Amino acid sequence: MARILYIEDNQDNITLVERIVTSRGHEFMSANDAEKGLQMAFDVHPDLILLDLGLPDADGQTLSVWLRNDPTLESVPIIVLTAWPEEVARHTVEAYNLDGYLCKPFTLAQLVQTIDKVLNKKSS
Amino acid sequence: MTIELIPADRFSLQELTDLYNQTRVDYLVPMPMNASRLGDYVHDFDIDLAQSCVARSADGEALGLCMLGVRHHQTWITRLGVLPAARRSGAGGALMDCMLENTRALGVMEIQLEVIKNNLPAYNLFLRKQFIETGEYLIIRRAPHLSPEPLHGDVDWLDTDKALEALQSYPHPLTWINAPESMQNAHDVEGLHLTLPDGSAGWLVYRNTKFTLRSTLSHLIIHTKQGNPNEVGTQLLLNLHTHYPHHDTYAENIHKEDAHLPAFQTLSYFENFSRIEMIRSSNI
Repeated sequence: MARILYIEDNQDNITLVERIVTSRGHEFMSANDAEKGLQMAFDVHPDLILLDLGLPDADGQTLSVWLRNDPTLESVPIIVLTAWPEEVARHTVEAYNLDGYLCKPFTLAQLVQTIDKVLNKKSS
Repeated sequence: MTIELIPADRFSLQELTDLYNQTRVDYLVPMPMNASRLGDYVHDFDIDLAQSCVARSADGEALGLCMLGVRHHQTWITRLGVLPAARRSGAGGALMDCMLENTRALGVMEIQLEVIKNNLPAYNLFLRKQFIETGEYLIIRRAPHLSPEPLHGDVDWLDTDKALEALQSYPHPLTWINAPESMQNAHDVEGLHLTLPDGSAGWLVYRNTKFTLRSTLSHLIIHTKQGNPNEVGTQLLLNLHTHYPHHDTYAENIHKEDAHLPAFQTLSYFENFSRIEMIRSSNI
């Protein structure tokens, strides 16, 4: 079981992802903006972060830098969930040294598969 | 459909934020805001909420909104958005007509706006309202990392006053968000001036925005006073990123033909999206 933090401003998306994540036996928590997300990451030290790039206070890219700059959080894998076009998402993941991405709309199977892949890589 | 247009200053920032976010749920470029960020936007970009509008249906349902930045010689149309369910109802056109009429009433001659490239419904609306294209601008960003390039030259770091003084001397047009008025309003402007051993010189002005826990660099504007823009720009950016090695950075509205673009590329900036600038006269 992993502790998964989802940083996303859309409550419908949070509710849906929470159902999927908890149904797989993981612990789920969420924050609806970048600053709350950063604070929660400091507080709970998640095993995985799901990150929306379009947040209301600071960009998801900027938040990923804040997370990576902290020695206690720098190795936490980050998967980007975004409405950006795939090319931008891919370039962002490469440039910001993130661990994966899913472009909305994505299927629930894709979400489960991506989470499992990143968690398995982390534990191996 | 009967559309009622109401001045936006009759709504709270939170109400305007909620409406704006609802209009952008399916947007090409996701750009949600919170009330604090919208408040900064209104302040920094001289948005006059009394001249901005919310569109409502006859039964009081919000349909969309549009904001107007006002300066002595220009207005700027921004944050135009219509709820997905209210598209093709004429709300967008009604909001635009309201902005054009408000601009005329203010006695301002020039109206400008930017539209995300490939947002064809909005672009076509603006063409119908007799706006013409004046340029394409890039939004580029860079993740922090150490650059192996060596530093050259003498650097003077500019405080806010000196940075704004440099910006006043910029010889090319700047879009609304990078204009000296916007940068002066923002209160977080800094800069650096560089002189290279061969006499080449230039400056870089930027915003260093503080959040509660961290900060980020944005709104970069580079000018080469003398010498090769690529070499001067590269050294300016190298000095900036050496000084701020852990900061995320993005530059908004860099002209597609800006001679410093190769320097940005050398420093690993990549394109996020682009905007088309359009203008029209208010007396057409």
